[in-house]
Amino acid sequence: MTQKELNNQRLAVEAKQKELQFFTRRHFLKESAMGFGALALGSLLGSCGNNMGMASSPVFDAAHPLAPRMPFFPAKARSIIYLHMAGAPSQLELFDYKPELAKLNGQDCPPSLLEGKKFAFIRGVPKMLGPQANFKQHGKSGLWVSDYLPHFSTIVDDVSIIKSVTTDQFNHAPAQLLMHTGSARLGRPSIGSWVTYGLGTENQNLPGFVVLTSGGNNPDAGKSVWGSGFLPSVYQGVQCRSEGDPVLFINDPQGIDRDLRKASIDAINKVNQEQYKEFNDPEILSRISQYEMAYKMQISIPEVMNINDEPEYIREMYGAQPGKGSFANNVLLARKLVEKGVRFVQLFDWGWDTHGTSADGAVDIGLINKCRQVDKAMTALILDLKQRGLLDETLVVWGGEFGRTPMQENRDGKEMPFKGRDHHAEAFSMWMAGGGIKGGTTYGETDEIGYSIASGKTEAFDIQATILNQLGFDHEKFTYEFQGRPFRLTDVSGKVITDILA
Amino acid sequence: MLLTISEFLGRFHPVLVHLPIGILLIAAVFYFLSLREKYKALQQATSVALLLGMLSAVGSSISGYLLSISGDYEADIVSIHKWMGFAVAAIAIVSYFLYTRKSNAVKWTIGLMTILIFITGHSGGSLTHGSDYLTKSIAVTATKKEQKRIANVQEAVLYSDVVQPILEEKCYSCHNAAKQKGKLRLDGPEWISKGGKQGEVVITGKADESELIKRLLLTKQHEDHMPPKEKPQLSEKEIALLHWWINSGLSFDKKVKDLAQTEKIKPLLLSLQTAAGNEVKAKPQLPEASVEQADVAAIKKLTDRGVVVLPVAQNSNYLLVNFVTVQNLKEEDIKLLLGIKKQLVWLKLGNQPVTDDMLTSIAQCKALTRLDLNQTKITDKGFIHLQQLPNLQTLNLVGTAVTINGLTQLKNIKALQAIYLYQTSVDKQSYAAIKTALPKVAIDTGGYIVPTLPGDTTVFVKPKAE
Repeated sequence: MTQKELNNQRLAVEAKQKELQFFTRRHFLKESAMGFGALALGSLLGSCGNNMGMASSPVFDAAHPLAPRMPFFPAKARSIIYLHMAGAPSQLELFDYKPELAKLNGQDCPPSLLEGKKFAFIRGVPKMLGPQANFKQHGKSGLWVSDYLPHFSTIVDDVSIIKSVTTDQFNHAPAQLLMHTGSARLGRPSIGSWVTYGLGTENQNLPGFVVLTSGGNNPDAGKSVWGSGFLPSVYQGVQCRSEGDPVLFINDPQGIDRDLRKASIDAINKVNQEQYKEFNDPEILSRISQYEMAYKMQISIPEVMNINDEPEYIREMYGAQPGKGSFANNVLLARKLVEKGVRFVQLFDWGWDTHGTSADGAVDIGLINKCRQVDKAMTALILDLKQRGLLDETLVVWGGEFGRTPMQENRDGKEMPFKGRDHHAEAFSMWMAGGGIKGGTTYGETDEIGYSIASGKTEAFDIQATILNQLGFDHEKFTYEFQGRPFRLTDVSGKVITDILA
Repeated sequence: MLLTISEFLGRFHPVLVHLPIGILLIAAVFYFLSLREKYKALQQATSVALLLGMLSAVGSSISGYLLSISGDYEADIVSIHKWMGFAVAAIAIVSYFLYTRKSNAVKWTIGLMTILIFITGHSGGSLTHGSDYLTKSIAVTATKKEQKRIANVQEAVLYSDVVQPILEEKCYSCHNAAKQKGKLRLDGPEWISKGGKQGEVVITGKADESELIKRLLLTKQHEDHMPPKEKPQLSEKEIALLHWWINSGLSFDKKVKDLAQTEKIKPLLLSLQTAAGNEVKAKPQLPEASVEQADVAAIKKLTDRGVVVLPVAQNSNYLLVNFVTVQNLKEEDIKLLLGIKKQLVWLKLGNQPVTDDMLTSIAQCKALTRLDLNQTKITDKGFIHLQQLPNLQTLNLVGTAVTINGLTQLKNIKALQAIYLYQTSVDKQSYAAIKTALPKVAIDTGGYIVPTLPGDTTVFVKPKAE
């Protein structure tokens, strides 16, 4: 090869390289222009996509779904006891004192209250019904409570009564769903599920979310009010019974001892592990942890669910009688569960639907008896939590799903045999205590006859936002990704009721 | 007072101004696209767009000039905006004529015009919304949190801690250094005292006669109502606070506690302490100072023993510890806490066989604010250790054998707020003595009784009517 040829070859290579460089740079810039733009845009819109180091919702850990987790900010409450009076107690006979309504007793309801309104049973023009109970101010705070609740009225300085709760549902099931899941329709997770998803549980031998029912029936909305909706199913409420076996099928079957049970669970888990290795489905890990939890619960649940262990004077304080499926027993169990680190205890007491169709459903007879069933126990709960140093870290919530009308129910336009009130979505009362709630306060007011909200309108979402806040969650940032978008318990509403916080 | 015709025309500026931005930008887009063979058809549209854009630019320049004479805006930014606006109009005219003459230089003038539009638009935005508008959302949330956390409202300075944040949130946007509607600034004591176009806005001690309050209280429909009805309004509480601030002497440096407080204002002041908004960060029993992250290995040693160890919150290094599921507790387990002694704030040891000796390790966890020792084996001898916890606020001793002799040793813990003494060996006679030894501590000796009333065990039946 001559020198010239060599030079030419070198030049050719050099030219080619130059061209290549030229090409690559152009090519690179051209092809990645959109990518760069998107990158820049992504960081510009950062506040939208990520929370910029702010609170983030927990990521579901299939292998340890119930491991304890930290809240967004330091919590006032570590546990919740939610007492739901299914059927909706009458606020006008318990907390919302309306002397003006007494003056209107027996008069025809003015048309202005009926126009454009729909009631569950009231038809035509009903008569107004004055308060059937006698009210007095109680405690240092001077809160009004009726003589239907003689025990509760001694602890008003520890509770905050919200008199301005409102809902948009006047049937039991949707109203209960709204109260507990944030939606009047089926399919959303209940608040207890949200809380266990967010916080897990501190006692790995017990479920994080326990449900107890009394009053002879489950709430109208059925088990969906403690369902997990679209959250992983490990977060649904575990319903325990206060009569017989606390959890069905918890005892080892005859002829199978605990060691054999353990061996069989281990074997099943091994099979599941193999499955997991093959398919990598996180639900299999959940299943394994559920088996282990069930095994541990065989020991822990009967132990904690036994009120016979409690001294006589404590049982008497609550009015609890072992062997009965009563509200009092459930309330005592709730305290024991919370003491053991259970995160969310949900009680439903059925039978508060006082339409006036029978003596049991009359606001001047049946309601008194329902109050007698719960008054002593819920009062004992507050005091017992207090003396054990648990009230300041346990939030107690009491309420129904809606209120009752200031009018006497006239089902199908006819006069009723007993004094009753129809469902009333517009105004009702709830109370909260402990867990960072300011005692001896009331929040919100209804108008002079308790028909609608005059100030401090409080929706189910506000109650939920407040509960989550006390547990250390910002309800607006506490989300779960489902069907391509983050879901919240409070959907697009909810405001923490700051006025009742200590 | 009627507007002069020039003022009237000037007020069309906010409407007109958007036309040249949109039209000239689309003209630029059309122009550059039409350079390609594929989009050649856009050439005709370019010329129409340039013409319309030019005319609207001239129109907004004139109206903008008339508006700037009113002088409610900060001179510096107005001047930039004004000259930039003129420049846009001028270059639009030039571009149009160059374009119709098919000059090649139009490429450059249209490019330059686009840049100028952005600059003018930004300065205009800064005039109306404040110069920090673009970046404000981030900055404000950061500062807001600082302001809202009033630990003790009585110790707060009324103006800077209470009044200023309200003004900043609701008034500054129109009455600040950059923009002075009605020639009024509210962003500093000297400006507030100076007042605006119509004189003083605050009269010391006479809130009801002060223009500031009067305008807040006008109905929303009234044209003098402040803030203008489309802007965020002040809450009743905020108005009441401003009202009290003026009536109590319009002080700019006094603390809340040094001012006479009416019955009406007390609850409002108190409500400031718990802050407002969604993220109510009532800090339960946590130290003020931050702490470094705990040793991961130390935490693992505890969790391996079945102890729950968890940060109290996502952004905190402080830890809570719960022994609820630990079996066969030994002294070594308690000693493991020393690995996280700086971070440990809440400790639950209830129902565990904790002895007095084990408390030696716990005494070294100086950050502890809440300690649950209910149903443990501790006695009065343990207090020699407990009294070494300077930050202890809540102590649960339910169901232990402690007596008054131990409890009085806690009198030097200044932070202590609550002790639970239900079912302890403390006898009733010594309750009073404990109270005197620990005057600031809430002592709960429990033993509450809910008496059984006749109604509790019987069923109510309505008496038959005679």
